Amino acid sequence: MSTADEKINRGQEQDYEIDTLTNDRLISDHEYDGIRELDNDLPPWWTWLFVITIVFAIVYLIRLFVFSSDDLIQQSEYNKEMAQAASMLPSQIQTSAIEFKVLTDQTSLTNGKTIFDKICSVCHLMDGGGLVGPNMTDDHWIHGNTMEEMFNIVTNGVLDKGMISYKDQYSPQQRLEVLSYILTLHGSKPANPKAPQGDLKEWPY
Amino acid sequence: MAVEKFTYDNRIAKYFAVATVLWGVVGLLVGLIIAIELVFPWLNLNLEFITFGRLRPLHTNAVIFAFVGNGIFTAVYYSVPRLLKTPMFSELLSKIHFWGWQFIIVCAAITLPLGLTTGKEYAELEFPIDILITLIWVVFGWNLFGTLIKRRTRHIYVAIWFYIAALVTVAVLHITNSLELPVKFFKSYPIYAGVQDAFVQWWYGHNAVAFFLTAAYLGLMYYFVPKAANRPIYSYKLSIIHFWALIFLYIWAGPHHLLYSSTPDWVQALGVVFSVVLIAPSWGGMINGLLTLRGAWDKVREDPVLKMFVVGVTAYGMATLEGPLLSLKSVNAISHFTDWTIAHVHIGALGWNGMMTFGMLYWLFPRFFKVKLYSKAMANTHFWLATLGMLFFAIPLYFAGFTQALMWKEFTVEGYLKYPNFLETYLQIRPMHLLRVVGGILYLTGGILMVINLIKTAKSGKFARFEEDQAPPLEKKASTEKFHRRIEGKPITFAILALVAVLIGTIIEFVPLFVIKSNIKTIASVKPYTPLELQGRDIYLKEGCYNCHSQMIRPFRSEVERYGEYSKSGESVYDHPFQWGSRRTGPDLAREGVKSGKIYKPDSWHYEHLVNPQKTNIQSIMPAYPWLAKKDIDIASTPSKIKAMRSLGVPYPAGFESSSVDDLNKQAGAIASGLRNAGIQVEDQKQIIALIAYLQRLGTDVGANPEMVIK
Repeated sequence: MSTADEKINRGQEQDYEIDTLTNDRLISDHEYDGIRELDNDLPPWWTWLFVITIVFAIVYLIRLFVFSSDDLIQQSEYNKEMAQAASMLPSQIQTSAIEFKVLTDQTSLTNGKTIFDKICSVCHLMDGGGLVGPNMTDDHWIHGNTMEEMFNIVTNGVLDKGMISYKDQYSPQQRLEVLSYILTLHGSKPANPKAPQGDLKEWPY
Repeated sequence: MAVEKFTYDNRIAKYFAVATVLWGVVGLLVGLIIAIELVFPWLNLNLEFITFGRLRPLHTNAVIFAFVGNGIFTAVYYSVPRLLKTPMFSELLSKIHFWGWQFIIVCAAITLPLGLTTGKEYAELEFPIDILITLIWVVFGWNLFGTLIKRRTRHIYVAIWFYIAALVTVAVLHITNSLELPVKFFKSYPIYAGVQDAFVQWWYGHNAVAFFLTAAYLGLMYYFVPKAANRPIYSYKLSIIHFWALIFLYIWAGPHHLLYSSTPDWVQALGVVFSVVLIAPSWGGMINGLLTLRGAWDKVREDPVLKMFVVGVTAYGMATLEGPLLSLKSVNAISHFTDWTIAHVHIGALGWNGMMTFGMLYWLFPRFFKVKLYSKAMANTHFWLATLGMLFFAIPLYFAGFTQALMWKEFTVEGYLKYPNFLETYLQIRPMHLLRVVGGILYLTGGILMVINLIKTAKSGKFARFEEDQAPPLEKKASTEKFHRRIEGKPITFAILALVAVLIGTIIEFVPLFVIKSNIKTIASVKPYTPLELQGRDIYLKEGCYNCHSQMIRPFRSEVERYGEYSKSGESVYDHPFQWGSRRTGPDLAREGVKSGKIYKPDSWHYEHLVNPQKTNIQSIMPAYPWLAKKDIDIASTPSKIKAMRSLGVPYPAGFESSSVDDLNKQAGAIASGLRNAGIQVEDQKQIIALIAYLQRLGTDVGANPEMVIK
């Protein structure tokens, strides 16, 4: 670009060329491997965007460092969320009034199966034959087989053996549903049944 | 004035361009493989080397450092000599740079599948490769500054400002984040732990995006967009303002990756505000790129190169608006740990880096070979495949991210989690992961079309290695220019100022976090890992478990209900490196070992599950790790690992290393005999025993009652 070279020699900032396609001013001595630069100002909306975000940042930091606003301190946020939820936390639910009876209606058993397949099967297998946890289909029970005994197991777990408590994950009704479903597996023939564990109990319970 | 004649050597630029294409295809292919593995876990074929946890780092490293890295060097080695009117400083340095970088990539491609990893995302390469990277980076810097010193133009163009900022900052990032203590060949521990390691890692990770993937590519944009469009840059003033604002502000924003984690509130707040303030400087780059095309929009309709640049720059604008939005805590509470983040980074990688690279290659090859592009139609098809591929990739993942986050957070009216089973929340988004695979196939197909097109172009022409040019020599003269114009004539000063700009934020964030004790609250009950757990932890790192499992329970009711007490800063003080993770493809493991907790499983379950996850749940998408039950723990390394940890500040008693093997054997024996009692045939010294020991330790130091033990 020989014309550009001449411009460099002139070196005067106010000595502008005009870009014919946009009518914007080219900066005279700015030419790099044929690339020129225009003398356009910052777009005002861009400048305002920048200013607004800076104001946001300053306000945000003042709220944290000067006023210690609750919504910027995560411990306070958490305490607030838990306080709001306090009345309905699972741990608050009373289980004393529960009637320990086997549910036989189809809806309950379907709900129970859904939970069993998602949660219990991970240790007791889908068909209840047992893997890490005991076989659910035979006549042997380690921790008892009354509805109340089984309910206590699901509610409090058998921590030493790896059975966790499900009281925070499923409601008492859901626990009854899944237990009722488990009883329907009795006498079924799982593919690889785990050897019997615990005491022999007589069916029906 | 006498005019000097000189010659540009296109050979190294061509080498880098070819490497870009090659590694681009490799990076995309590995990405596609892991995307499919995520949906069909059996595709690891029970082989450790191709399991998701080992291939995902290979994918990210290949795309970032091999594909984009070579793209940067192509742009630099082609544009810098022309912008400075001089050949590159040294052909030897150029060659060392090229072959050294490819050697690093090959080392990465070998070591990552072997499981030789530091366990820090995007910085997985072990210390010998880290050292090599440092050396090659020095060679690159030497070559670049040598060229700058020999230049015949007084001022350096904005593209080179960005190259300089990238060069300087990446050096600072890489060295600081890679400070690690070698234990043996290809095994080291980072000197940082827990909160501090997380902070350093994301300061690095975020700014690898900022300077490697962004600043260097803005340099590429500033050269190739005006060249391809034959139009002047929209605004020089905007270049100045957005350049300095960008590099000064970007370095602060790393903690936005750690929102609601156990990092202090003030660190998180800085991450939030500096991300928001970044919108305008980022958009300055987009505006300057897009508005440079004013007067050339008719060409954009015709020219595949310009089309790709337009989509690339637009994707940059979208990603840099989305980034700040994701940095708002209320948005991050939803997006973090989900596919939303994955979608976001792929708008950047596929849109910005991919499209800019493709445009550059389509522009360069005809010039290298002095011939027209073999097929414009193929390039146009590539453009559409890439654009659609990106959308098919990103849109399902946005949907997936949002869906899964809402499922994680939903409670029933009775106050129970609606979806207490984690897997259920994954199965819901599985179709989206299949659609993402479709997007990946489209994008890769476009890439293969490009390979064919470029090969055909090369074959139809003859490589023009040398190009003649001429310019008057640079004269020394007293400068009367304005401040910025003056430093554009002083590259060393410019580099120092850029370094200062990035060090300000770095120092202001680093110093308090490392000096003020109250930032990380001591918990008396947190103890170092036992030797067996430490070995298990190294297996956890080696298998890349952190690629799918987080260890960071955020202080939300939904997470505390699902996983247990939220994570405390004092809990990870002995974690060299931290393992908080960034995506929960599987559940969080921070409280895995708490017996009275929400997700505890007995040892025998872990054994069965690791060997064959589908045995415990047919729908599980975890790959099987049968080799863990066959391979032995590297017991001999135990004493040196204990010693290394002690010198990093982990309080193992003096002389403990000499009894560490006995300690390990004793604990392993207890676990293994427990498993044997449960009917599982396993020997004491197998890797799976160590991994189980580690998993059962997780979260137990604090347990159920954390308030009792915080000093």
